[in-house]
Parts: sequence; structure tokens; C-alpha cells
Amino acid sequence: MTNTREITLTVNGTEHTIDVEPRQLLVHAIREELDMTGTHIGCDTGNCGACTVLKDGEPIKSCLMFATQADGSELMTVEGMEDLPEARGDLHPLQEGFREEHGLQCGYCTPGMLMSGKALLDENPDPSEEEIREAISGNLCRCTGYQNIVRSIEYAAEELEEVAAADGGTTVASGTDTSSADAPSAFDSEFDCGVENCCGGPTTDRNHDADTGGEHK
Amino acid sequence: MSSDSERFAEAEDGGPQPEKHCGHGRGGMGEDVKRKEDQRFITGRGNYVDDIKKPDMLHCEIVRSPHAHARIENIDKSRALDVDGVVAVLTADDLREYDLATMPTLMADTQDVLVNDKVKFQSQEVAAVIATDRYTAKDGAQKVVVDYDVLEPVVDAEASLEDDAPLIRDDIEDKEDNHCLDWETGDEEATAEAFEEADVTVTEDMLYQRLHPAPIETCGAVGDYDPGKDKLTVHMTSQAPHIHRTLFAQVSGIPEHKIRIVSPDVGGGFGNKVPIYPGYVVAAAASYVLEQPVKWVEERSENIQSTGFARDYDMTGELAATDDGEILAVRTDVLADHGAYNAVAQPSKFPAGFFNIFTGSYDIDTAYGSLTAAYTNTAPGGVAYRCSFRVTEAVYLIERMVKVLADELGMDPAEIRRKNFIQPEQFPYESSTGWNYDSGDYEGALDKALEMADYDHYREEQQRRIDEDADKLLGIGISSFTEVVGAGPGKTCDIAGVEMFDSAEIRVHPTGNATVRVGVQTQGQGHETTFAQIVAEELGMDVEDITVEHGDTDTDPYGLGTYGSRSTPVAGAAAAVASRKVREKAKAIAANELEAAEEDITWDRESGEFHVAGAPDRSVTITEIAAGAYMNHPSSEEPGLEAVNYYDPPEMTYPFGSYIVIVEVDRETGEVEFEKFVAVDDCGNRINPMIIEGQIHGGLAQGIGTAMLEHVTFDDNGNVTGGDFMNYLLPTSMEIPNFETGHTVTPSPHHPIGAKGVGESPTVGSPPAIVNAVVDAMSHAGITHVEMPMTPDTVWAKLDEAGLATDPADSISLEFEDQSSDTTADD
Ligand code: FES
Ligand code: FES
Repeated sequence: MTNTREITLTVNGTEHTIDVEPRQLLVHAIREELDMTGTHIGCDTGNCGACTVLKDGEPIKSCLMFATQADGSELMTVEGMEDLPEARGDLHPLQEGFREEHGLQCGYCTPGMLMSGKALLDENPDPSEEEIREAISGNLCRCTGYQNIVRSIEYAAEELEEVAAADGGTTVASGTDTSSADAPSAFDSEFDCGVENCCGGPTTDRNHDADTGGEHK
Repeated sequence: MSSDSERFAEAEDGGPQPEKHCGHGRGGMGEDVKRKEDQRFITGRGNYVDDIKKPDMLHCEIVRSPHAHARIENIDKSRALDVDGVVAVLTADDLREYDLATMPTLMADTQDVLVNDKVKFQSQEVAAVIATDRYTAKDGAQKVVVDYDVLEPVVDAEASLEDDAPLIRDDIEDKEDNHCLDWETGDEEATAEAFEEADVTVTEDMLYQRLHPAPIETCGAVGDYDPGKDKLTVHMTSQAPHIHRTLFAQVSGIPEHKIRIVSPDVGGGFGNKVPIYPGYVVAAAASYVLEQPVKWVEERSENIQSTGFARDYDMTGELAATDDGEILAVRTDVLADHGAYNAVAQPSKFPAGFFNIFTGSYDIDTAYGSLTAAYTNTAPGGVAYRCSFRVTEAVYLIERMVKVLADELGMDPAEIRRKNFIQPEQFPYESSTGWNYDSGDYEGALDKALEMADYDHYREEQQRRIDEDADKLLGIGISSFTEVVGAGPGKTCDIAGVEMFDSAEIRVHPTGNATVRVGVQTQGQGHETTFAQIVAEELGMDVEDITVEHGDTDTDPYGLGTYGSRSTPVAGAAAAVASRKVREKAKAIAANELEAAEEDITWDRESGEFHVAGAPDRSVTITEIAAGAYMNHPSSEEPGLEAVNYYDPPEMTYPFGSYIVIVEVDRETGEVEFEKFVAVDDCGNRINPMIIEGQIHGGLAQGIGTAMLEHVTFDDNGNVTGGDFMNYLLPTSMEIPNFETGHTVTPSPHHPIGAKGVGESPTVGSPPAIVNAVVDAMSHAGITHVEMPMTPDTVWAKLDEAGLATDPADSISLEFEDQSSDTTADD
């Protein structure tokens, strides 16, 4: 099984060209070829979400995709959060939220939760509790009972709003501006829906019009 | 209840007595210190077993049996060995050469590491393929050809005890049946008498179904033998690294000082990572033989199908009472399924764990319990899933039975509890099954919970819905549980013969900060923060100046590990006692620094400083003392400032609480929705309220999983039908409601800081509250019990039985009869 293919993955803004077997799962490529072990594996059926990363802005379960299928895409993992502009050289507000609100215990689900949280807030900067619960419903946590994870994401939403306000009303968050497909992104990628199992389309789709308040159906 | 004034005074000798404390702003006891461990986890820098990468590391894949019961006739490795990159294929024959073909379970049964002769459960370990990478190892595993002579399996405990059941354990000499063990407790005769004389008796059958702890990280290990140093390091997902080192030494014959167990970051344990599993042994053995690091990490389905399950107690409960609700006696009989080996994880002198605490929070004169355990063709287990050794089953039994009795007598379930509670002045209290409860105020916790839940209002609302024949019924469930945690003492509790003490070592460095090493290990409980808080409190240091290390047998003092909520009660006590030892020595150094007599030096908890009695301005801080210890030590003392304590608890601790769950039950669909979930806990003095609340939330969520969703199921052929996350359902953010938590504080009188341990209370206490709530919604129509997990179809069947169901079948059948009509259920 030595037949391999060369693929290019841009992870957290850095381009990597690697040789992978066609059957290698994206999560293994990230963890084992690129040595970014922040993304975890918790199941073999696509149920747990520990492996969640953003692919071209959209949260995906990286255990449900071959690395070759991600060829040419922009990926974001937990390791990239501190480099985002809204982290302002420190922790991203989501990371801060998880610490402030005790949104983690063993920490195993946390990177996936952060990614799902990021995708949600990119799309919907002011989510309701119900929307947060829905956004993380594909991420299992055995430790926290979710309540503090919800609070953590709420904390981040507030922080991000403050960051945006401090910047004179223009958002620095990548893609928090849902009304424009040209919103500035950390890695200059195109923006799309950002919600798993949704339409998969860009944020300018009619379902994602700012008027709908970020509702997903 | 929660005021600091109730705390105990400091003991003269600094010995194990609760002390009073309060927040001093240094991150000591009672402060919501943000967790030290979080930084690495939120930035993706955690280091879990599967993150470990070593040069030349090989990967291990285990070949598992598709059959539940089968004799192995032949194993052909040749095709696997032909796969490019496969380095070795191991079977029992290979392990036998190193005397590693079997391993002892924690209950001294003998389990095959790789099947020696006969497969005893589906997914049992048959062979191991070692290869250069994960994928190649899997390729190799697929090419191992095993010839099985398939035997009839038995996966049900009752069926396995029948005369004609297939014999599972023919490896045990003279064994002729599947009987595993018998156990009893209490006074059978006196209990029988009480039942004869009682005004009222009630009985109920209930199954505490088979669960799996299912931490999100599965089990795994990296065996790393260093031939240069002749030392075997095993990085493994271990809740008890020291005891695992001892067991590894015993099994392998490698001297214990040549073995190092490292338990790095662990992604949740919940009892799953207490036992030793074959995968660990294989990875270590393969590394030893091949002289290369070998990684083994199981997949989720392997985790659920082959590692320690929990519960599986089929119980009958009985209560005898007077007409006005005074409980006179409790009796129970249990059929326990232990799986293919007796591999329950509990102190060896307690074959049924602490199940005999089934008298619960009540002053019951007479009790009798009996238990029979059986072998079945299922994975071995009976681990304490977030539970102090079967206390979960015991609490479920008594809390369910109290509700059954209340309904029988037409009494309010809160009232009947109040009537029977052990009263605060009765502590220390000895139960009729021999437990010495340390302290409690059960009514205080219940009252607080009732108030938080707005109990009276919901009782009225419940009646209104019944009267108005509403679509959704309301149910109110109560559980007033008592836990027993913190094993030792060593004289009664052991793991594989080692006494259940625990330890802490403190080293104060010359510049005034400290490293603390503990014998317990964290899997998310926040030890790096809470243990630092204990030491900060006891030494007047800032919590920021303390680093807590754990999980490495080469550097940490010996301890028995984290499970059974024993970290705070045992290692927490050790940290406090070790701190006080440091404090004693610090006094001598302070005397030297302040040029005063040592007897004149006092320590002020508030300021954290040492000063001359009567002259508070003549004082030194711990930082100054640390410098003195290394740079100007008094001639009466050794240089340095360190202490270690091995703490053998005099007794266990007894946290308690009252949970109130209010549910809506949909009469058409059988769906249950949480309207309100109140949890009042009393874990004695509180170290970090934020972390405690987090533990409560997490445990309640697990309790909801237990009550509503989770069940490891089998078909008649022994196939695991609930063996992955598609079929073994963990609750998601959509099923878990918001919890309202409250607390009371009743310190443990024998614990140095008056703390009791809390992690397991919510998992132990919540399932009966939830079931009681669902039953309560239907008890006016005669329903006395609903089995867990209470899936909509289970609940609907009960609604139907009680004549309460509004029948969706009607509308469904209408739809079938008339495809064109747009029929939906009546609404
Ligand atoms: S690892 Fe569980 S969903 Fe990907
Ligand atoms: S924090 Fe442990 S699984 Fe979520």
C-alpha cells in the first residue's frame, strides 16, 4: 500500500504539501503527517465531533473525509486560533470563554467544540442558547454536561462584539459579517455557510441573508 | 448552612482535623480559581496517549473475535506477515514464552491477554499485529486467519445459571456451571421478622442496565522499552499509574524499579481506565521484545465492546414499614452479570463493592441483602463508573423503593424521606449494614432543594394537569442520596492487595514557590488547580506559585489513583497534612529569621505570615522562610523545605444531597422533557466551587444518559448491538437541560480540611430522581416503576398500561389505511 498522492493543505494559513495514501483519513493526515495533535479522535462512526476542523470555513468531521478530498482546501484547527486577528496576540475570545466559564474538564472534546463554536459565531455573532446547543450538538462531551460550554460560547460572542465595537463597528472577526461574501478572513478564504449539515452554500445564500438573523433550516 | 462560621477550629497538633478557612485572595480554599490546566487544552497543546510520537514507533492492531463463544482451532499468521510493513504477529503462544499469556484481574481472576484456547466474549483479543504504521497494522489484522469452532453463547445472567447453559469457564478447574460468586450482608432472620410484623410491605424489580463509562478518549498505551537503560516505560491511559506499575511488575517479572508508568493527559476516565486491559500488556510486551516503541490505541467500538462495562445489577427491592411511613426494614436480592471474567474493579474484600450501603440516608434498623453473580459470554467488567464501587446501584435501589413506598401509602415522597432520615445529632452513625457515616444534615439539603424547585407549586400544577386531562403529565422526582467515598482505610480497602492510602509531596523552592506531587491522577477533575489551592491555603502561598504534578511513577509518591471520588478525601488530606509538616518546619526557620523562640512563633491563616506571638509586625512570609531554609538554615534543622505524607484515612467520607427533577411526559409520544433540574449537594468544605459545579453538571448529564439513553445490549448470538456511538447513545447538548445547583456545607469531622469528595454524587444521585419523576407522572394511575433507559417507547408502553396514553397508533394506522389523507395526531 505504498501508492501515495501529493496533496496541498493550507492549515492555519501555512501551506503544506504532503504525500498521503488515498485512503488516509484527513484527521490522521493532520495529526500524524502534520503533527498537529490538537485535533482529536473519539469514535469510529462520525458521532463524537472530537475531530472537528474548519474546511474552507465550514466545520467538518475530519474523520469522515479522506485527506485527498481536502486537497487544495484551507483548514483551520485549534492550533490556529491564537493567530486570528480577534485573538489580538493572545487567546481567542472562544478560548478565553472556555477558561472563564469552565467549559472544559478533561479537554478532549474541547478543540472540536472550539471549532464548532467558531463556525457558529462566524455565521451568527449573536446566537441564542438554542442555536448554540444546536451548533454543538454534533460534538459529544462526557465531562461537562454542556451548560458551561454554552456559557463559554456566549462569553465569546460578547467579547467578540466588544472587540468589534472597539474597532469602530467594523468586525475584525473572520466572517462575522454575514451580509458580505467578501468579508475579510484570517486566511483570505471564501466564506460559506459554516454550519454542518446545512445547505453548505456561501453565506450569501438566501437562507443566510442577514435578514433571517442567521437562521438555519 | 454554608457559612464559614460552621467550620471547625484548627487542631492543636496540626493533625487531621478540619480547619476553618475562607478566601484570602491567594487562591486558597473556597475560591473560584480558574484552572491551571486549561491553557494547554484550549490551545491544542494537551498531550494524550495518542499524541505521543516516538522515533521508530510501531503500531499495534488487535485482531478480535467476531464470535462470543468459540474455540480457536488454528491461527494462520502467514498472510499477515507477508504484508509489507508488518513486523510481528503475536498470539497467546508467543506470549506464553514470556509468561504473559494471562493476566490477573483486579479480583484475582485470570484473564487471557490473547485468547489461549476459547473465546469468551465478542471482540475478545485473539492476536496482535505490529506494523510500521496504523494503516498497515490494520491491513495485517485483516489477513490473520483464525479458524473458530463456534459454540453456543449465553449473554443473559439468568439463562447462564440454568442447568443446561453452556459452560463458559472451563479454564477453571472443576468448574461445572457459570456461577461466579455469592454474597450476603445484614441479618436475614431479623429482617424476615420485621417484614412479617410490618403494617405495609412493598416490592419492586428493577434492572440497573449495563452501561459503559465511554470517556471521549478511548484506552491506549505506548510501550517504550529502552534496552540501554533496561527500563520499560509505558505511557498509558491510567487512572491508577502506581498500582498499574505494581501489576505490570507482577505480571511480567520485570523488577518494579525498571518500570515507569506515565499517565499523561487523560481524556476522561470515569472508572473505565482503572483496570488493566490486554492492549496495554501487548503494547508493553511487544516493545520489550522488539526493542522499539509500540503504540496501541483502541477504537470506540473496541472500547465499548471489550473494556470494563458498569452496573448490570438485576435487583429486587423490598421495604417493610408502618402505616404512617416509618421504614422498619429493607431487603434486596441481586443477580449480577460479571461478564466472562470476574474483573470488577473494587477493593478485593468487597466482592459486591459498597452495595451494602443500600440503607441510604435513612435510619433503618434491619437490613438484609443477598447477591449472586454469574459469568456470561460478555466482556468482563462491573467497573465503578463514576461510582464508589456499587454505591450507585445501592442508591438507585433505596431511592426508588422509598418512592414506591410513598405511593403505596399515599404519602408525599418528601415527607416520607423527612420521617426516616438519619438526624444530624445521630452522627457519627453506624448503619445496620456496618457503615460509619461521618456527618450529615439530610433534611437541610432536602429543604433547600424543595425551595429551589418550587415544589409546592409544581405539585399543584401536577394535579391540575391530571384534573384537566392535559396532553402532558407532570412528574416530580426526588432523590436524597448518601454516597460513601474516599477509600481506604487501608486495613479494609485494597486494590490487588495494596492498601488504599494516598500521598502528596511538597517541595518549597529557594525562591518561594513550590512543586507538589500527588499519588492520584487527573482525568479532567482539575487536580492541578484544587491541590494547589489546598497547599496555598495551608502554607499562605499564592496559588500561582504552586505547580502540581501527577501521573508519573518515577517522580510522584506512590498512590492508589483517582476513582471512587477518593482524590480529595485521601490525596487532598495528604496534601493538607504535608503542608502542615512544612508549616511546622517553617516555624523553626521563622524563629531563626526573627530571632525569637520557636514556641513564640504563630502562623496567621488570614495573612499567610508567621509572626512572633503578640507582635504581628515582626513577621516573615513563606517566601522569606523558603530563602532562609536554603540560605540561612537554623542549626537545629536540616536544610531545605520539603515534606511528604502518605495518608491512610481513618474512615470514608459520606457526601450527600437532594436532587429534584421535574419532567413533562408526553402522553402521545412517551417523550420526557426536563422542566426543572435542581441539585443540592453537600460535599463538606468546598475547595473550588467552580470546579465542584462543573463536576455536578457533568455527573448529572451522565445520570441523564443512564436514565434516558444508554444501554449496552446484545443479541442472542452474543453480538454487541449497542457497541459504538451509533448505538450506544451518549447525551448531546440537545438532551441535557440547564441545571440549578445549590449546596449546604457539613464538614467531615475526620478529614484534615473537612472535605468529602464530590465527583460521583451527581451520577449516583440523579438516576433515581429522574426515574422517580417519570414514575411520578403516572403513579396516580398505578404505575410503580419504569425501567432504564426510559426511551419514548418504554415510557409509552407504561402510559398505555396505565390507560394514560393518547394513542399515536390510531393516527398512524389511519395514515396507512388512507394514504391520501393528511392525518396527524389529534392536537
Ligand atoms: S472522531 Fe468522532 S466524529 Fe470524528
Ligand atoms: S471536557 Fe472531557 S469530553 Fe468534554
